[in-house]
Amino acid sequence: MRSLPRGQMRWLMEAYIAQPRDLPSIDVDSQSDFIEEYLKAGAPEFRLAFISCCLGLNLLSVLMKGKTFSRLGAEGQQELLNKCFNSRNPLLRGMTVLPGLAFLMSYYRRPEVAALLGFDAAALKAEAELRKVSRDRTLPSRGDAS
Amino acid sequence: MIFKLADIKGDVVRSADVAIIGCGAGGGPIARELASEGHSVVVIEEGAHFTRDDFSLNPAEAYMNLYRDAGQVITFGLPFILMPLGKTVGGTTTINSGTALRILHPILKKWHLNHGLSDITEDELNLIYAYLEEYLFVKRADPEVAGKVATTFLAGAEKLGLSCGWLPRNAKECEGFGSCAFGCPSGSKQSVDVSFVPDAVSLGADIYSCCRADEIKVSGGKASGIKGHFLDPRTEKPTGHKLDIDTQVVVLSAGAVYSPYFLLKQGIANSSGQVGKNLQIHPASSAIAVMDERMDAPKGIPQSSYVDEFQGEGIMLEGGTVPPEIHALALPLLGRRSAEAMTSYPNMGIFGGMVCESDSWGRIVKLPRRGYRPAILYSLRGRDVEKAKIATSLMAEIWFAAGAKKVFTPISGHYELTGPKDLARLERSSLRAGDMFAMSAYHPLGTCRMGGDPEWSVVRHTCETWDLANFYICDGSVLPSSPGVNPQLTIMAIAMRCAGFIDERLSSWGRA
Ligand SMILES: Cc1cc2nc3c(=O)[nH]c(=O)nc-3n(C[C@H](O)[C@H](O)[C@H](O)COP(=O)(O)OP(=O)(O)OC[C@H]3O[C@@H](n4cnc5c(N)ncnc54)[C@H](O)[C@@H]3O)c2cc1C
Repeated sequence: MRSLPRGQMRWLMEAYIAQPRDLPSIDVDSQSDFIEEYLKAGAPEFRLAFISCCLGLNLLSVLMKGKTFSRLGAEGQQELLNKCFNSRNPLLRGMTVLPGLAFLMSYYRRPEVAALLGFDAAALKAEAELRKVSRDRTLPSRGDAS
Repeated sequence: MIFKLADIKGDVVRSADVAIIGCGAGGGPIARELASEGHSVVVIEEGAHFTRDDFSLNPAEAYMNLYRDAGQVITFGLPFILMPLGKTVGGTTTINSGTALRILHPILKKWHLNHGLSDITEDELNLIYAYLEEYLFVKRADPEVAGKVATTFLAGAEKLGLSCGWLPRNAKECEGFGSCAFGCPSGSKQSVDVSFVPDAVSLGADIYSCCRADEIKVSGGKASGIKGHFLDPRTEKPTGHKLDIDTQVVVLSAGAVYSPYFLLKQGIANSSGQVGKNLQIHPASSAIAVMDERMDAPKGIPQSSYVDEFQGEGIMLEGGTVPPEIHALALPLLGRRSAEAMTSYPNMGIFGGMVCESDSWGRIVKLPRRGYRPAILYSLRGRDVEKAKIATSLMAEIWFAAGAKKVFTPISGHYELTGPKDLARLERSSLRAGDMFAMSAYHPLGTCRMGGDPEWSVVRHTCETWDLANFYICDGSVLPSSPGVNPQLTIMAIAMRCAGFIDERLSSWGRA
């Protein structure tokens, strides 16, 4: 079962990641698939907290701005996210931060994004393949040490 | 042999001299030591077995394969603290940073005076440390491969006249692939899966991966074996096959979170009431700098340098670079501001600071949670909030001395520092625990502590439990306090020592 409908994932993802300049476009489908897999592999409470925080953000938006989060528009969404995030209330802050963990990870983990930022995992792996280290050491027995 | 899930076609019923639960910094050395003395050894490890060929520098994949709960282990308290734990052959050492330090002298003295542990002498420990350092190729990080973040930060620290240097690491010919926490892709890091495990196996030990121990068998007031079951470590779905081993000695080495949970679930070895209590975790903060020049993280050794100027006050700074997907989570920014900042990732450096002697004590408790999970209760208390603030502002000061244009911190109201004025404001501020955001901790310890008094401790100095003969606990949980530094080498040293006592016990039976 999906954690959230794709539509909801889309507007939350777009607000949290905010399409960085000169980097590949957000890919809602593949990133949502990753988030599902990541949440499934983790603690059940984490998934529950993720869903609750996303829904809570919507509720907060209605309470504070009189509109659901998706209807706030890009400016309004950014304003709300930052307001909550900058709050000294740890609950309010936590509620905004937690979904961000999954959304930001889903984007910046993509190899084409990471490579443009200078982290080319495939190249590093290929280099590591050429420099495999072997242990070959004659072991001192414990008796020699003590 | 290392048994993988595919090798298990039915129930496993067998006997051995020793069964060890958990294959990390505690379990691995004991397995090798006892196998080398000719004892039959079986190790049960809940996680799967991977080799360097499987490590593809993909953090998310590593979280799901090598970490418990995909790296989502969090403490309950203020603030929430992310506390990643390894779950794989090699335990947390497979995903640790490779810093290999000895216990601080004054702390060992406290163990003697406050915990009745004078049997653990400095001379004996030093011999074991020396042995381990040779066995694990421990040497100082090579500045040539450490990377720009570390050299820049150290330059800043030196400019301020602070005591600092290169960390000793258990890595052989490290070329700095920037990926210690996601499995070392070259096999350079001498984690337990690369060192003790292959040696134990070549000496005849058997390791059952993907197998969770459920129960310690007890007969006549003595431990006599273990029961467990095989499962898919990623989904936690049982395969239906069981494990039942009769042994003469059982060792619990499931780590400082899962060893006490195991005991609390079964209701054994807790006449002292200390099981699960006294949890210390080394809560850590971070500071991220934006520099004019490229830092090129994470290429280099993620954790290679330190500033120990305030070690006496329980504060230790140790560097830790991370790939973009983790960096984005560490930045105290969301939405557009995060996107803007992340485009400067190549020019950013991150450093970590931990409270390594703290006033806060947490607790592992058995709450009704889904699956096989305890609750970890922990809040920052006393002077620890202040120490976390000092660690953070010190890192910021060092970054500014190194030429940073801007420093991000995880402290509410002080997320972005642009210069000395902001730094002074942070230093003057009075903080509450809830003001810290994105704290993490990597060193859970103390939850089944050793000691000389059965009323105040769970195990003796030999690591045998006070309550149950032939039942030993040996991992981070038995350290009665933080060793003042990263703990893996001390856990291994205590494990080597414990193996000596088990060997004596088994050999005396052999002679009888
Ligand atoms: C990211 C990270 C970086 C770190 N860096 C450093 C560092 O640089 N230097 C340092 O000194 N320390 C470091 N540490 C900490 C260090 O690795 C740990 O303190 C150490 O490995 C703990 O050893 P342990 O034996 O207590 O537990 P672990 O090494 O965690 O081993 C316990 C094992 O028991 C298994 N287990 C649990 N329950 C069961 C069960 N019921 N049945 C079967 N198996 C079970 C677990 O799956 C696990 O594999 C780091 C930790 C992390 C998370």
